[in-house]
Amino acid sequence: MSGKQASKGEAANKSKKPAKGGAEEKREDALQAVILADSFQDRFQPFALEKPRCLLPLVNVPVIEYTLEYLASNGVQEVFIYCGAHSEDVEAYINDSDRWSPESNLCPFSSVEFIRVSDASSTGDFLRDLDKRSLISGDFILVHGDVVANIPLDGILARHRARREANRDACMTIVLRSTGDSPHRAAKARGITPVFVVDPTNGRCLQYEEMHPLQKDKYVKLDESVFDYGEFEMRTDLIDCGIDICTPDVLALWSESFDYELPRKNFLHGVLKDWELNGKIISAEILEEGYGARASNLQMYDCISKDILHRWTLPYVPDSNLLHGQTYKYKRGLWLEDGAHIAKNSTVTKSVLGKTAYVDTGSRISSSIIGRRCQIGKNVRIENSYIWDDAVIEDGATVLHSIVANDAVIGKHSYIPQGSLISYGVRISAGTQLPSKPLPRISLLTSEGEPAKTDIKLVGNDGKGAQYEEPEDDEDSDSEDEGDVDPAVLQSSLIYSLAGLNISSESISTLATHDSDDELSDDEYEHGFQSKANRERLSSFASDGSAAAAMKLDQFHGDAVHGLVDALRADDNEDFDSAKLEFMGLRLANNASDSMMRKAIAVAFATRAAELMSPENGGLEPTKAAGRALTSKKGAVKFITEVGVGGNKVDLHAEFALALQKALAAIKGLDSARAGTLLAALLQQLYNLDVLEEEGILAWWTDARAAENDTLSKIKEKSRVLVEWLENADEEDSDEDSDEEDEDSD
Amino acid sequence: MAPSQMSYAPTLGKLLKSLNTQPLEASIEALVYLLKRRQVKGDDIANATAHMLLQVVAKSKWQNVDQLLAKVSNTGLRLAQAAPTEQVIGNVVRRVMGLIRDEASEDRNADEMGDSVSDLSQLPTTPTMPSRPGPTPLRAATLPMSKSMFNLLSVSEPVQSPVTGASTPMSQGASANMHALRSEVIDGIEEIMDEISQADDQIAGFADIQIHPGDYVLAYLPSPTVERFLIKAAAKRRFTVFLASTERQKPGEVPHAALRKKLDGLGVNTISLASNSLMAYMPRVNKVVIGAKAVYANGGVSTESGCSIAARAAREYSKPVIVLSGVYKFCPVDPSDDVTEFEQGDPSTFVDYADGEAVDALEVENIVAEYLPPQYVDVYLTNLGPQTRDHLATIMADHYESEDMGLSLHLP
Repeated sequence: MSGKQASKGEAANKSKKPAKGGAEEKREDALQAVILADSFQDRFQPFALEKPRCLLPLVNVPVIEYTLEYLASNGVQEVFIYCGAHSEDVEAYINDSDRWSPESNLCPFSSVEFIRVSDASSTGDFLRDLDKRSLISGDFILVHGDVVANIPLDGILARHRARREANRDACMTIVLRSTGDSPHRAAKARGITPVFVVDPTNGRCLQYEEMHPLQKDKYVKLDESVFDYGEFEMRTDLIDCGIDICTPDVLALWSESFDYELPRKNFLHGVLKDWELNGKIISAEILEEGYGARASNLQMYDCISKDILHRWTLPYVPDSNLLHGQTYKYKRGLWLEDGAHIAKNSTVTKSVLGKTAYVDTGSRISSSIIGRRCQIGKNVRIENSYIWDDAVIEDGATVLHSIVANDAVIGKHSYIPQGSLISYGVRISAGTQLPSKPLPRISLLTSEGEPAKTDIKLVGNDGKGAQYEEPEDDEDSDSEDEGDVDPAVLQSSLIYSLAGLNISSESISTLATHDSDDELSDDEYEHGFQSKANRERLSSFASDGSAAAAMKLDQFHGDAVHGLVDALRADDNEDFDSAKLEFMGLRLANNASDSMMRKAIAVAFATRAAELMSPENGGLEPTKAAGRALTSKKGAVKFITEVGVGGNKVDLHAEFALALQKALAAIKGLDSARAGTLLAALLQQLYNLDVLEEEGILAWWTDARAAENDTLSKIKEKSRVLVEWLENADEEDSDEDSDEEDEDSD
Repeated sequence: MAPSQMSYAPTLGKLLKSLNTQPLEASIEALVYLLKRRQVKGDDIANATAHMLLQVVAKSKWQNVDQLLAKVSNTGLRLAQAAPTEQVIGNVVRRVMGLIRDEASEDRNADEMGDSVSDLSQLPTTPTMPSRPGPTPLRAATLPMSKSMFNLLSVSEPVQSPVTGASTPMSQGASANMHALRSEVIDGIEEIMDEISQADDQIAGFADIQIHPGDYVLAYLPSPTVERFLIKAAAKRRFTVFLASTERQKPGEVPHAALRKKLDGLGVNTISLASNSLMAYMPRVNKVVIGAKAVYANGGVSTESGCSIAARAAREYSKPVIVLSGVYKFCPVDPSDDVTEFEQGDPSTFVDYADGEAVDALEVENIVAEYLPPQYVDVYLTNLGPQTRDHLATIMADHYESEDMGLSLHLP
C-alpha cells in the first residue's frame, strides 16, 4: 500500500519536472542539502571580521561541524555549501578535515560542493543562483550554517512528501520547536519574535509576521484571508530551527521575486501573503521534542552553549567527541580534554576545558568554556565566559560573561566587565579596567578590515587593539535577526550592540507594508498623526482608537506610498491623474483618515525628492531635486494642493509642512543636514507653486512638534533662512492671499 | 505511514547491508559515528561490534597472528572510545581476540606435529604472557611481532622485504595457514554472533522455571530481554506484573503500552507503579526482574538507572532479585567508581524544554545507567542457565583468554 503510494509520488514528481535530465532522475533518492554558510549579517562582529562565522567555535567546535554532523545523521548524501565572506577559509577547513573532505573516503556524504557567488549580497542571491544551476533534483533540505539540532528528519520528510503528493503546490515545510508558555532563554534571546499563523489541523502556515521589543504597537495585522480557513492559531512561542524542507519550486519562487533577501521576513512573509497569486502552500512542523536552534547572533550563541552543556543537544555534546581528535571526558560537571590541567586549589564548575588548557592555583571558573592551550593564571576569576583557543588570562584578572577570542591576552589584575568582546590577538595590559559603557568590543581591525590604531586609553600602555565601531551604512540589509535591538529585554546575555538601535527599529506599520525598504514610518510620527486626525472630512470614519483600524491604516500607508512613488518615478509623460485615482480608491477602500493621506503624500514626495538627490539618480542639488519631484508630473502639484493639504486653513498647511519634515527625518541614509536643506527647498517650491501659504509655513515654524527631538530640530533649523525671508516678504506681498484663493477654487 | 524506503537516516541495518560494497575504513568510520550519535543502541551494539570485527578479519591485510590481533584490538579500541559507556564492545573484542589466539595455537600444535616449526607462524603469545592479567595485549603483541619480523629477515634473504618474502616456500606454508586461520576465525565470530542473537530467547526459555503460578513480579523499566522473558513466562503461567518507571509521563500516554497489551492478551495482569510507591508494594511482590547492561567480574551489574531502588527495596523485604544477562554481557573487569562509566542522558526525561523556568533554573543530571552492587543480586539468569555470583568467575574464565582480561580500551 505504502509502496504503491510512493511510486505514484515519484511518477507525479517526474511529470512535474519534465525538463530535468535522466541522470538527475536517477539520483532522485539521494537526499540533498544546501547549507547557507553566510547570512550577510554582522551579528558576530568583530569576530567575523577575521574568520567566517560558521567556523567560530561553539563549545570548542566550529559551528558548521554541528550542521554537517546533523545532516550526516539524517542520511544526507549530497551537500552544497554556499559561502559568502571568507569563502576560501571555509573551503580550506572542509577540505582539510578528515571527515568532510570530498576526497576522503570516510566522508559520509557522496559529494560536497562549494558554490561561490561573487556578487551575492543576500541569502536571496544565493538561492536565485542555485535555481539557475539546476543542481537540485528533488526535495532538499535548506539549512543555515549555524544550525545546532538533533531533530530526526525522517518523519518530517515523509510527511512533507505525503503533503506534496496530496497537493503539488505544497512546496515547503519549515521546522519549528515549540517552547510553551514560559519561554526558555533561547526564545527570549531572539530579539525579533516570529509570529506564525498556522492551521492546527494540517500544519499549514497561513501568515508570517515579525515583532520585536522596540516597536510601540504590539499588534500584528491579520490578513483577511486567514479567516477563511476556519481554524487557526497564532503562535509566538516557536523557535525557528532554520531547517526547511523545500521542493525545487521554492527556488523558482525566489527567482520570481528578485527583491527578496531574507528567507523569513521577505520570502516566507511574501509567499504567504501572495498566496492567491502563486497558489503555494507552506507548512510548519511544530515539534514538541528534540532540539533545534540557530547560533544566529551572540545571544543565541550564549544560549546554545548553555543548552549544549545541559545536554539538550544530545548527542551533540563535548563528550561525544564527534570532532576527529577530540578527547573530552565528562566528570562531575566538568568536561576535560586530554592534558587539560586544573591546579589543586582552584575551583572549576560546569565548564569545558580544551586540550592542554591550564588553570593555575586559586582561580575560580564557573559556567565557562575554555579553549585548547589556554593559559589561566593564578587567582583568576572567570564566569559565564567563552575563552577561545590559545588565549592567555594572566594572574588576578577577572572576566565576566564575555568572549575572549583566540590569542588574546588579558593582563594581570585587569577587569573585563559583562558583555565584553575581545577579538583575536588583542592585548589588554596589566591593571586595566575596561569600562562597562560603551560595551567594550575590542579588535585589532576596524570595520573595513584595516588595522586599527591602538587606543592606549582603553587597553593600557602595553595593550593592542581599539574599540570596534559598527559601520553606519549597512544596517538595512540585516534586519532578519535583530538580536541586538533591545539589550534591556535581553538582560543577561552578551550584549553586543547598542549602536543602530534607532536606525534598525521598525514600527508595526512596516509589517503590513509590502516592502521593508520603505522604512519611512516612525512610531512617534504615526502616533502624532493618529491623535491629530481631526479634519472635518471623513473624520468620523477614522476610528483611531481601534487597533484593527490602525493596522488597516498602516496597510493603506504602505500601499499608497508605494503607488505614489512609483508614479513619480515613471519616465512616461502620463498625467498624474491615474495615480491620483488609484490613491483615492485606496483611501476609500481602507477608510483612511485625512491625516493618513497627508502623511502618505508627504512621505511619497519626500522619498522621491531624496531619491533624486542620491548619486544613482544623478545627485541633483536639493533645490532641483525638490523642483523635479514636485513638478515633473503634470497634476502632481494640484494633487498635493487638493488631497495632500486639503483646504485653505493655516493649520492644515502647517500640518503638511510638519508631515514633510517628519517624512524626511525618517528617510534612511539621509543625514539631517541634507534633509534640512531638502526640506527648505521643498517648502520654498511649494510656496512658489502656491501650494503652501506663508502663514502655514510660519505656523509650522512655531509649532512645538516640529522640534520635539534632535533630528527634527536640526532639520528645521535649515529652513530658518526661508522663514526669515517669508516674514519679510509677508509685508511686501499683501495681496498674495487673494491670488491663492483663485488658484484653489479651480 | 512512512515506508522504509522513505527513511534516510543511517541505521545499523543499512550499514550492515553496505558492508560488502564499502571499503573497510569507511565502514568502521560509519559505525563509530553511529555509536557516537547514539544511532545504535542497547543490544544491537554487541551485534554491530561482532559484524565489524568479522569485516576486519575478512578484509584487512595481515601476514601473521600478531598483526591480526593488533588490527582487531585497534578497531575495538576505536569502537569502544566511540561509546565509552558500553562495556559490551570490550567484551566482544576480548572474545574475538581469545578466539584468534585459540585458533592460532591449535594451528601451531598441528604444525608441530606435522612438519618443522615455522618462524612466522610461531605464536609468541604464550611464552611472553604471564598467567595473570598482564600488560595490555597491544603492547604485548607488538613486542613479539618485531621479534618474528627480525627472524624472518635473518632466515630468508636479507634483501627481501617481508611482503615479497611471501614467495619463499616457508612463507607459502605460512600464508596457507593464515588462510585457514582466517576462515576459522570467521566461523568463530559467526558463532559469537549467533550466541548474541539467541541469548534473549535462551534466557526466556528459563522463564517458566523462575516464575511460578500466582507470582507477583516487579519489572523495573523492562529492557527488551525482560520483556521477552515476561511474555514467554506468560505463555505458560498465570501471574501478575508490576511495571515500574520513573520517567516523566506525557499526558495520555500509557508507559510500556506495547508490553502491557501483549501480556494482557496472554491473560497476565499488569499494574503500573510510580517508583516512589515501590516500597509500599514490595511486601506483595514475590520477585524482582532486572535487565542488565553489563555484569562485572565482582558480580556488580550495570542497569537502567533506578533499578537499584527496586533492588534495595527488595532486599529490605528479602525478596529475590533476578538479573537477566546474556553471557556476552559479562565483563571481566571490576567496575571503576568513575561517574564517566555511566552515560548521561538528555534532561528531557525529567524536564520539558518548553518549561522555560525549569530549564533555566535546574541543572539536570540524567544518568541513564547505574551500578547495582553485587550484594543486591540473588540470581544471574544467563543463556547458560541461572548462576550465582560464585560461578561468575568460572564463566568469565571459560569465555575470555587470560591475556585479554586486562585489555585496556583506553589509549596507552
